[in-house]
Amino acid sequence: MKTLQPSGIVLAFAWLVLSFLVLPAFAVIPVSFTDTRYLSLPEEHWSLQHWRTFLSSQDWVDSIGQSLWIAVVSTVLSVVAGTLCAIGCWRLSSGLSEKIRGLMILPMAVPTIVYALGIYRLYVELDLVGTMLGVMLAHAVTGLPFVVLTVSASLSNLDPRLEQAARGLGASVRQTLRYVIVPNILPGVLSGAIFAFIHSWDELIVVLFIGGRALFTLPRRMWDGINDNLDPVIAVVATAMILFTLLVLTAELSLRARRAS
Amino acid sequence: MSNGTPEPLVRFINVRKSYDGKADAVRALNLDVETGEFLTLLGPSGSGKTTTLTMLAGFEQPTEGRIFVGGADVTRVPVEKRGIGMVFQNYALFPNMTVGENIAFPLTVRRTPRAEIAAKVARALSMVRLDGLADRRPQQLSGGQQQRVAVARALVFEPRLVLLDEPLGALDRQLREQMQYELKHLHARLGVTMVYVTHDQIEAMTMSDRVAVFSTGQLRQVAPPRLLYEAPESLFVAQFLGESNTLPGTIARLSGSECSVTLADGTTVIATAVGACAAGTAVNVAVRPEKMVLGAAAAACANKVQATLLEVSFLGDQLRLRLGAFGREDIVVKLANGAGQETLDPGAVLTIGWHAGDCRALAS
Repeated sequence: MKTLQPSGIVLAFAWLVLSFLVLPAFAVIPVSFTDTRYLSLPEEHWSLQHWRTFLSSQDWVDSIGQSLWIAVVSTVLSVVAGTLCAIGCWRLSSGLSEKIRGLMILPMAVPTIVYALGIYRLYVELDLVGTMLGVMLAHAVTGLPFVVLTVSASLSNLDPRLEQAARGLGASVRQTLRYVIVPNILPGVLSGAIFAFIHSWDELIVVLFIGGRALFTLPRRMWDGINDNLDPVIAVVATAMILFTLLVLTAELSLRARRAS
Repeated sequence: MSNGTPEPLVRFINVRKSYDGKADAVRALNLDVETGEFLTLLGPSGSGKTTTLTMLAGFEQPTEGRIFVGGADVTRVPVEKRGIGMVFQNYALFPNMTVGENIAFPLTVRRTPRAEIAAKVARALSMVRLDGLADRRPQQLSGGQQQRVAVARALVFEPRLVLLDEPLGALDRQLREQMQYELKHLHARLGVTMVYVTHDQIEAMTMSDRVAVFSTGQLRQVAPPRLLYEAPESLFVAQFLGESNTLPGTIARLSGSECSVTLADGTTVIATAVGACAAGTAVNVAVRPEKMVLGAAAAACANKVQATLLEVSFLGDQLRLRLGAFGREDIVVKLANGAGQETLDPGAVLTIGWHAGDCRALAS
């Protein structure tokens, strides 16, 4: 069989697209090591001064804490609700369950700004504006589609008769979930969790609307920093976020590789 | 029981099942499964055999009627509380567990002590001749081995009753025959009651103590394989199980269990009357092709007729003849290719005959 040999032009084009995708994000990395007092590439030498400022600033460290805490809690909520919903739809597998699954993906389709506006109105009524709980709940909802999609994909490869077999051999519904269904869809659940986490970690618009005066997650503090002045600390934060996200994504990729083998 | 007749292990009483509220998947089902027997539910697809098994397992509930297991009404008892072992089509082994963990599953969910589980799993593995494979993954085993694991998993918790839903359907013919004997021997050795679903009549005949034949949602006949074959009570059973020559006619005279039937072309044959027959009843006379004899043997039979040989198929151990008689051209005779069997050529005129006892008049 003839192996597919990409021509030089195709290869060059592929690299061009890749650079287009990746380079703008990585441009901030050298900027974070600048020796100047404004956003620019290092002029005379590379400096760690802005990294020092970032790590010693109570505001930035607080923001990291807030972002992490919100991302972890909202991910747990998304994963539990999304996984159970996907399993329920899979078991019913009727026209209704298809519609429910469609509904679960809606938060992804609705423009975030529309959603944020709606949730702001609701939160004013519920007195949730400016609270950690409020942001966690909002992120849990917007993170739901990632979990429902990845878990549903895992379930579509699962033989429905395994559930019957487990029940037939004496397992209760809970035991069937614990011993048979969840272990077999675990890679999908973890992938969904990672996507939901990243989603909350770098979400800005909802936080701008409902964060009030008290909540400054990492993306929001960056946004305010860019608006106020062009402090190079922004580049440091961006670099840190990119590295962290890459780490999480690598975990996801290695999971997928394990699933494939 | 004190009166000496043991209570059947399973009783279906007037069970009806309808999935959509219109058509009945199963209707008017009354069936007993005796303790320790191997009962096969046989029928074409859509006949209700699988629905019957599914209701016994507890995955579906009857629309009407009741099901008893061991004297207790289980009609509304959930699947996992029935304590029934199950073997599924395509095995349904858990891919996230090893062979040993799969077999241990029914014990694990019953919170059996760990040491006891280990001993029972080891015993179950050697029972199905898979010693030493406990740490393999099911995906690493052949189809026959996977099916043995599924059988061990269904038997390991020593249930009184094991249900098997076309368990050998995915295996090739040779392996299937070998597994049939293995299952049969396990059944004889353990004394466990087995209810088996298949659409393969040979499988049903080989393995069963009794066979229940289903068609279009109804139980047609329950009997040991030989009786079912030799004495079918309906045209459906006569045609579904093995092969039959069927000759439509009308009962002319009835005397005891024998009757004479006038066929469409005016000939009269003597047959065994089945069920409620009276003179004038329209019947189908069914004769097995291998019960028809030729030549000198035919002269001694109650029924004999001159027939023209139309076609001969040579099948190795037997000859299959197609003959013209009674104004039809589809009379089939099977002859064993025994010692000294002479060659037969199409066009020859032969006498074919059969005994009244080998021929049944079935109400149509």
